[in-house]
Amino acid sequence: MKKKRIFLLLILFLVLGGFVTYNYVYQDHRDIKSETSQIEITAPYLLEQFKTNNGDALLNKTLTVTGVITDVEDGAVTIDESVHASFVENSTRLNKNEKVKIKGRCIGYDELFEIVKLDQCSPIK
Amino acid sequence: MKTTIILSIISFFFLAAATGQEKYATKTGEIAFEASVPSFEEVKAENSNVSAVLDVVSGNFAALALMKGFRFKVALMEEHFNENYIESSKYPKATFKGTIQDFSLSDLSGESKYLIKGTMSLHGVDKNLEVPAIISIKNGAVYINTQFVLRPEEFDIKIPSIVSNKIADEVNVSAVFMLYKQ
Repeated sequence: MKKKRIFLLLILFLVLGGFVTYNYVYQDHRDIKSETSQIEITAPYLLEQFKTNNGDALLNKTLTVTGVITDVEDGAVTIDESVHASFVENSTRLNKNEKVKIKGRCIGYDELFEIVKLDQCSPIK
Repeated sequence: MKTTIILSIISFFFLAAATGQEKYATKTGEIAFEASVPSFEEVKAENSNVSAVLDVVSGNFAALALMKGFRFKVALMEEHFNENYIESSKYPKATFKGTIQDFSLSDLSGESKYLIKGTMSLHGVDKNLEVPAIISIKNGAVYINTQFVLRPEEFDIKIPSIVSNKIADEVNVSAVFMLYKQ
């Protein structure tokens, strides 16, 4: 009887351990859309931060960027010629010269275009 | 006399401005890599926010990928890639600068094979590369398609022995750029 109980307990631990490990290994991706942004910033000011080498602290952070759309591409927009934002949903439709507020993850500074890039963006209404 | 000199200087600047505009570029190029080993979880990531610029007069080509922009299917793999292997906070980008050999925009029709010679900079290491590419032009956009193999050790990327049997020694990289005239 005692042996059986130990055996059952062992099985329980194994299942629990397996469950915890599985959840750790296959944890969900960050959902930028539902995260609260840590800072609200204008697009030119964000670019300025990276140009003056103060941008590293903003890497991988969820930011809200404000400005006017200067270029529209498939699934992405450029704000004030200083921030490039690519959307989670490809169907996001915004127009040139529109004033926007966009939340996304800062992935870094692109020196080819001298632009800061954000991904997994969504517009804030 | 004076006016001719001034005129020629002005026309020279106009000419320079005109030829200087022969740039094709994209901010949403795609780079994918795969280092999967059969029967283990696939090691594969994609970045669809890669910048690239092509000067069609000289054939000079440059591309820049932000490492944090690579997305994996498994979130933990993405975290390990960023924190342990590629160290994306320390080395946030990978760049390639090179020249397409014997490139001429007017010769482009259909798909043609080219060779791009240049320098790849990744994880703080510079390496000379020769990359084959298929280049074509369609509806005014230049398409550059390339596939090549990189080895992590060439870029000083250490993979711990516990996981080394789950990650291939040779990483297959493929890139697609659709470049528009600027």
